Amino acid sequence: MEFVLTQLSGFSTSLAALVLDPVTYFYLIPSVFLGIVFGALPGLTATLAVTILTGFFGNKFPLDQALIALIGAYVGAIYGGSYPSILLNIPGTAASAATAMDGYPLTKQGKGGQALGLTTTASFIGTLFGTFCLLIFVWVLLAVSKNIASPEKALLALFGIVLSGTLMSKDLVIKGWISGLIGLAMAMVGLDPLLSEERYVFGWSYLLSGFQVVPVLMGAFAIPQIMEGARHAIMVGKTPKVGRILPEIGEVIRRMPSILRSGGIGTGVGALPGVGEDVAGWVSYGVGKAASKEGHKFGQGSKDGLISAEAANNAAIGGALIPLLVLGIPGSPPAAALLGALKINNVIPGPTIDPALILHVVAILVLASLTMLLMGLFTARVFIMVLRIPQTLFLPVVMVLTTIGSFSVGGGINDLFLMIGVGFVAYAMNRMHYPIAPLVIGVILGGLFDETFRRSLLISDGDLSVFVSRPGAAILLLLNVALILSQIPAVKRLGARLKPGTS
Amino acid sequence: MDDKAVLRARDFWTALVLLAVSIFFLIQTTEIPFLDSKAAGVDSAEWYNSAALVPFGIFGSLFLLSLVLLSIAIRDGGAGRALSAAGVGLDMDELKRLSAIAVILFCYIFGLVPRVDFIISSALMITCLIWGFHGGSRAAMLTSSIAIALPALYASVMHFGRDQWSKPLDDDWVTLAAFIVLTVVMFWHARRDREGKTVLRITPAVAIVCPLILVLAMAFGFRQNVPNRTGLVFKQIEYHYYVTVKPLFQGK
Repeated sequence: MEFVLTQLSGFSTSLAALVLDPVTYFYLIPSVFLGIVFGALPGLTATLAVTILTGFFGNKFPLDQALIALIGAYVGAIYGGSYPSILLNIPGTAASAATAMDGYPLTKQGKGGQALGLTTTASFIGTLFGTFCLLIFVWVLLAVSKNIASPEKALLALFGIVLSGTLMSKDLVIKGWISGLIGLAMAMVGLDPLLSEERYVFGWSYLLSGFQVVPVLMGAFAIPQIMEGARHAIMVGKTPKVGRILPEIGEVIRRMPSILRSGGIGTGVGALPGVGEDVAGWVSYGVGKAASKEGHKFGQGSKDGLISAEAANNAAIGGALIPLLVLGIPGSPPAAALLGALKINNVIPGPTIDPALILHVVAILVLASLTMLLMGLFTARVFIMVLRIPQTLFLPVVMVLTTIGSFSVGGGINDLFLMIGVGFVAYAMNRMHYPIAPLVIGVILGGLFDETFRRSLLISDGDLSVFVSRPGAAILLLLNVALILSQIPAVKRLGARLKPGTS
Repeated sequence: MDDKAVLRARDFWTALVLLAVSIFFLIQTTEIPFLDSKAAGVDSAEWYNSAALVPFGIFGSLFLLSLVLLSIAIRDGGAGRALSAAGVGLDMDELKRLSAIAVILFCYIFGLVPRVDFIISSALMITCLIWGFHGGSRAAMLTSSIAIALPALYASVMHFGRDQWSKPLDDDWVTLAAFIVLTVVMFWHARRDREGKTVLRITPAVAIVCPLILVLAMAFGFRQNVPNRTGLVFKQIEYHYYVTVKPLFQGK
């Protein structure tokens, strides 16, 4: 209990400093607004919002201020995705796909305003729940992570890539793994981290420093969206009329158990390396359907169904930041973009991270969610109007934003060439149902995996038992092997046969 | 034909490409010292510390997974369908549309941004993407692609080398002319077609104002680097910012 109180006291100090600083609002309000707009416009995503702002802020702004903008946009965009899901049955972001299941039927019943109000409140409480978990668990895990050495780090990075590949794959699981391997391969380009040996440079000096994170992020997330938007533009005609948006307090209190359950699930799924808000939304929706009293109404306009998805995807933000801050392993694609921002500012997440930075992040999350709540309840009609902007009008502007953002971080045309190259490849992969998140996570974690894997072997003089002799490493190795084996059809069949009750 | 069948046919080709890529990079990896790493006659690393260790693992795994993908594609009949256009789900209209988008983005990034003023090149790209793809007209799509390809080609041919990227301004004028001509053509077409008129009406404003504001914000607000500072428009803006506007604010 004393630990919790100490954390709350540190957090209060950080929050007070943030609240009293006028600069905070200069960054926070526009970024949350921009985030909601990005989330609301189909074709733009939370990852794209954070990536573009990473390009804008680069390393030329104090990280404290840049984080306000990045986290504000992250929180806003995850919430903003609910607008087109509820009103048009078009998920604004992947994270809000589950929201459409009950949100749109509610709109058809003339309860669009109620759905938006409830979503806004559930998202707010969900974000706060995830943030509280971040505040508590990050310190516990940081204490544990002090015992994490190279073997554990290598296996954890591998676990993040394999897990992300497994869960993000819409088609065959091996496509997710191939995507992760392509990301890892891209991370091998340049001078190797231990011996400074040149790898796959092909005489091009630009490649000596490896692929830069921001152009890769921009290419992987922005270019495919722009291409897909131009190829198959979504035209939104009229938006349905919504009534009163402010939710009834009694209803919110009545549905609090569902919100908190979804918050817990969202935080837990978000904390899994490389998984993210969309999976959190679906898992929570599935659990909600089984656990809720009105589970049979899910899919027909159930408010419980709506908040199951929405509270979870916003709670996943706090969850996704736990592995990011503790281990430098992003919990979701937008968190990967956030890691890119930390990297270009030379901040290394992990046991040595500045505790003040963690408290600062937590305080930003709280303020951002409060800003989101106020904007969602009182300016929702502005975002509904935004929905009517045609994709073909804003996507070219996003292309300019992406280009200038990518250029300004590295300051070189080569970064733009890299961005467009990665973009074309990512688009082709998208069309063939290869998930892109594992690729990006592979690029980001590849260097860490390479360095820590070889360092482990260096310390043990090439003895591979270093990966099983340490308890933490043994557990992680087991998890990796189990995760891969569980996807092999023969093993799946064997598992089904061994299940009691099946012949 | 269902989506899965098309996917498997595409997977067949993807697996072959991935196999070729993984073999190529496995061969490339053999050039990195592995079992016998010596520098100037001194043992520099053991196998377990070699820079080739992890890449061997990555490309070896990629090779194996490609084989698995290939076997799945063949087992599900993907190989049989892979040689027909319908089998891989090739739709010529869609292919043309995608090629046009790719041409516009390619010309913008490789041809124009390095050599031409960023505001002008972005204005042209925005107009091409909006007009070319808003109404779904094939003529608009083709005209837009040509409108950006010509100045990009001109800039690339006349000023190919990096040393010629910044100074000459002829490519800036050619791009500006392409933008004006395309805008005129767009309005001329819009007179006949009623659909999407509002969007087309605001296109020139979006095309000019958005890049202008962005560049100004980045260069003078955020103090970030922007592409092609010696471009036709930006050079004038920068000159007047330092020579006219700034002294005015400093009271000089």
